[in-house]
Amino acid sequence: MSDVPNVTKEMEPSRPSNLPALLARYGMAGVLLLLGLFFTWATYHEEKPTGRPGAEALFRSLSATDQQAHIVVVAQQDAEETEFATSLQALLKEGGYAHVSAVQGDPPTVRQALEQRTQAEGAVDLILTTPACRQWTVFDSLKTNNPGFAHTRIEIPPSGKTSVFLSAGNLRNVSDQIAVIAIIAIGMTMVILTGGIDLSVGSLIALSAVLTAWLIRAWGGTGASGATMVAASLTAILACGLVGLFSGIMITQFKIPPFIATLAMMQVASGAAYIVAQGQSINAIPPSFIWLGRGANLASLPNAVVLMLFLYLAAHLFMTRTTSGRYIYAVGGNPEAARLSGIRTKRTLLFVYVVSGLCAGLGGVITASQLNAGSPTYGQAYELYVIASVVVGGTSLVGGEGFIFGTLIGAFIIAVIRNGMNLTNVEPYKQKVALGLVILGAVLLDQLRRTSSQRWSRRKDP
Amino acid sequence: MLTRTRAFAHTMALPAMALTLFALQGCNSNPPPGSTPPPGPSTGAAPPTGGSGAAAKKTIGVSVLTLENPFFKIMGDAMKAEGEKNGFDVIVTSGDKDAAKQKDQVNDFIVKKVSAIVLCPCDSRAVGAAISAANTAGIPVFTADIASLDTASKVVSHIATDNYAGGKLAGKAMVDATGGKGKVAIIDFPEAESVQQRTKGFKEVLAAQAPGIQIVSDLDGRATRDDAYKAAQDILQKNPDIAGIFCINDPTAFGAVAAIEKAGRQGKVKVISFDGQLEAKKAVKDGKIYGEPIQYPDQIGQKTIQSIVKYMAGEKVDPLQLIPTTLYTKAEADKDPDLVKK
Repeated sequence: MSDVPNVTKEMEPSRPSNLPALLARYGMAGVLLLLGLFFTWATYHEEKPTGRPGAEALFRSLSATDQQAHIVVVAQQDAEETEFATSLQALLKEGGYAHVSAVQGDPPTVRQALEQRTQAEGAVDLILTTPACRQWTVFDSLKTNNPGFAHTRIEIPPSGKTSVFLSAGNLRNVSDQIAVIAIIAIGMTMVILTGGIDLSVGSLIALSAVLTAWLIRAWGGTGASGATMVAASLTAILACGLVGLFSGIMITQFKIPPFIATLAMMQVASGAAYIVAQGQSINAIPPSFIWLGRGANLASLPNAVVLMLFLYLAAHLFMTRTTSGRYIYAVGGNPEAARLSGIRTKRTLLFVYVVSGLCAGLGGVITASQLNAGSPTYGQAYELYVIASVVVGGTSLVGGEGFIFGTLIGAFIIAVIRNGMNLTNVEPYKQKVALGLVILGAVLLDQLRRTSSQRWSRRKDP
Repeated sequence: MLTRTRAFAHTMALPAMALTLFALQGCNSNPPPGSTPPPGPSTGAAPPTGGSGAAAKKTIGVSVLTLENPFFKIMGDAMKAEGEKNGFDVIVTSGDKDAAKQKDQVNDFIVKKVSAIVLCPCDSRAVGAAISAANTAGIPVFTADIASLDTASKVVSHIATDNYAGGKLAGKAMVDATGGKGKVAIIDFPEAESVQQRTKGFKEVLAAQAPGIQIVSDLDGRATRDDAYKAAQDILQKNPDIAGIFCINDPTAFGAVAAIEKAGRQGKVKVISFDGQLEAKKAVKDGKIYGEPIQYPDQIGQKTIQSIVKYMAGEKVDPLQLIPTTLYTKAEADKDPDLVKK
């Protein structure tokens, strides 16, 4: 581990040289796949379609005798249900159904409208509605209490089978949920590759979110322009980069262990966030600020996810194709050897802590955008999720070993477990136990792999 | 070759472990015992549709502030029980005081297409994002215990303790405990809207009924035992002659009582709490806590589910439903059958 040739070997991070290393790297992707398969199976169930497909399926299921029936289409007011109601009405009109009306709204509105309609026009023969509305008890109570509904049939679209976990909506949901942690994990991967740790990232999320919201409020409030919001966000990100720089200086110039230096900055940043926000959340910001966190401009992928993927690609190229990227591995593999071979180790260390700060700052801006408010309570214990993503992704806590896309896989493993457990109704207490065990299992695996791959390389070159 | 096989075995260790975990989880995903099976067509020997069959079964998704505080556990359990009576599967999750995590949970509920969502907001303003998302998806949102302060999103009904009136009761208890004079401190948790109501009522009664009382300190105890313990120690250090401490909830009061006992000032510093957990009732009986307005988390839970049922039946639901507190002192504790048994 401490001889110079070893460093050069570890400076080749992208090429797994033997079978165990190969398996270990793609083993994690295998775990993610297994998790996905498991939750796909566990959430596979009856799904009743809505929207236009639901309207078409329901229309096909009607019999010809229904043409003269008095039909009411009932739906809620959101986009999908409105689509259901309008498409179904159009289909019925084309199909020659004579007596069709529609009601949209929440249960009290629907009840009132249905009661008024029967008073004015007489009994209803058929109610066509969505699965969501069918869960209301409005219809059952009308059937028993109102003679106009005594013989009403209620129909919903025929069901198919599908998996909630695997639905496009949920996959977007999972990537959206992990975007912040995954982006911060880029910086953390670099820090951990150098053998360090950054505990301040959770607090930096809060600081950045609060600073962004506070600056937007100070520079224009709810009427702030797009440029103002960008300026406020960049200022906050830069401030977090400066905090990272400060940690880096403490670590390189004054030889303070990274754990302690960043633990201190975690406190400082959290306190600063509370001071700036005066203990309150700030939401006097324009509604358009949610563009980054909740918008989806590219192929219905959330913007935060697009940004995350772009950053991972950039980080991957940086880590594998540039000398500065390789230096990070070298410094982590063996700092003394790296220094002797002419690498400016202090500069590399400073760089990684600045990157970590910037990533955390960006994470804070995204969080503020997702929640359309900045609060000093954001990001608590996030450093643990970030570190867990990195470690589960196969980066060694000792430094020098790991790869950037592994971290993305690690982040997704954590996101999939959290989302999957929510979808399958696992109790919150048990969720914590399961998540903890998975993290422990990953580190254990890393440890076992290390010992066996050392044995492997010893065999190969005696 | 041996090494290679061993390494392979190690690599496969995690998937194996993960599978074990999920076997365990599969058992948990079943609905609570006694709940009615979904009325939809049977899926035969299909996967565990039990808890996950969201569209087939009527489900209510709940995200509480934290499950560290028994208050929310009792409320969640009451919701589950009341839901079961009305044919709902109630899923209770914990936001762990993290607004972003709570938003994620709401998004999971939306994906599951639950019938209704109940929230105890982790942040009264930032919760607006989650509520808006549910509004867009056409899922009605109810808040319990803690209100949303976001004006852009729509909540059907807020069901909570009458914290303001409760705060007044706490103020009255403090006036009784101190005889209407002396120095008093508050161990606060100002982020929560419910707590703001409590301290408002408390301060108003003190100002109106006991001009002799002076509020010398108002510290944040994070509504947890350990932070409140430290805050109480600081209060006792700075004010040797402090006569009473108003703790905004029971965990805070336990922290304060511990600090008072450590300082050997039992009986001299009167503690007024707010909640009504069993442990606190015992402390009232033992004289460690002078008295407290008690809340009824079980009633809040029941009322919330009843409101959802009413709403689904198309009946009008009041946008604000307050559950009153009652003052609990040693006189009540001595008669409390719950405490006699133990």
